[in-house]
Amino acid sequence: MAHEGELDALARGEKGAWESFVRRYAGLVVAAVRGVARDSGDVEDLTQEVFVRLCKDDFRLLRSYDPARAGLSTWLTIVARSTARDALRRHRPVSVPIDAVPESRLAIDPVEPVRKLKLPEALLSPRQREILTMLYDREMEVAEIAAALGIDPQTVRSAHHKAMLKLRAHFKAETE
Amino acid sequence: MSRTDESSDRTLWQRSRTADAPVDEATRFLDLAGFADGLLDPDEQERVGAFVVADPAAEADVAAAQASTGGIDERPAGFERIVARACALVPDAQFSTARVIAFAPRQRRVLHGLAQWASLAAAILVASWLGFSMGSDTSFALSRPGLSNDSSVIPELFDPGTGFLRDFGENLRS
Repeated sequence: MAHEGELDALARGEKGAWESFVRRYAGLVVAAVRGVARDSGDVEDLTQEVFVRLCKDDFRLLRSYDPARAGLSTWLTIVARSTARDALRRHRPVSVPIDAVPESRLAIDPVEPVRKLKLPEALLSPRQREILTMLYDREMEVAEIAAALGIDPQTVRSAHHKAMLKLRAHFKAETE
Repeated sequence: MSRTDESSDRTLWQRSRTADAPVDEATRFLDLAGFADGLLDPDEQERVGAFVVADPAAEADVAAAQASTGGIDERPAGFERIVARACALVPDAQFSTARVIAFAPRQRRVLHGLAQWASLAAAILVASWLGFSMGSDTSFALSRPGLSNDSSVIPELFDPGTGFLRDFGENLRS
């Protein structure tokens, strides 16, 4: 596993650190990409796409990796599979003869809708959302919520507190 | 919780319900990897878990990350080429840190203009001096009484009738 010194050297764009990183993790990236590629001929280009993404914009994605939150191998596998899937979607749109497409499908906007998450879904756990909904939308008391969920009232207060911290942090960052 | 706090928290909650969260890929990768490794705090684990259950691609990514052995058992045929291509993405330090040294700014246009004006002024000066010199010599020669009739060639150059220069090529043309 790469330690922090190596990651710092990578973020500084040191050629030696990058080569060492590539040699160490190329096998892992290839294995991750293989799980997504439609045929083996795609693997080389998809692997290159992953490494391009990692060092793009002065290693922006690689800099976002946080060793405290996840192991590097796990993170790289997730990044590699997601990048490979995006690349396949971008480079090879599924083509179907127009005669094979039902009339009703042709009326649909071909642009893939961008998935959007409402803020509570993106930031809060289902339990936190449930507690805030009960507290503010259904006007329930803490004791009632605790009884309804079968948890301690202190757990309700704690979940509420953590949820509000996240929301405040989000809106504060948004206004800065 | 005071009434003011409760009111502001309620407002924040209601505001959040109408807002969309920007889907940041970097955060999503860390969330999924942290979830796969079980390193998130319980609230985060629950939040990401709900997201993973709702997204088959994310679920597959997490499963693959958990099953990953950290590499490949058998290297594919072009593995060294894959590594070489990836290594080439970052340039050598000597090239990335090299600076292009610019030439000194060109002053040719300035010098060129200066030389043009200087040569023009010199030409005017020389022409003026020559003109003045020739004029003064002629004037001096014509004004000397001893040389005006016989000994000087200058009076022979002029036609006494018209006072203009004589045409010495007259005989040659016929």
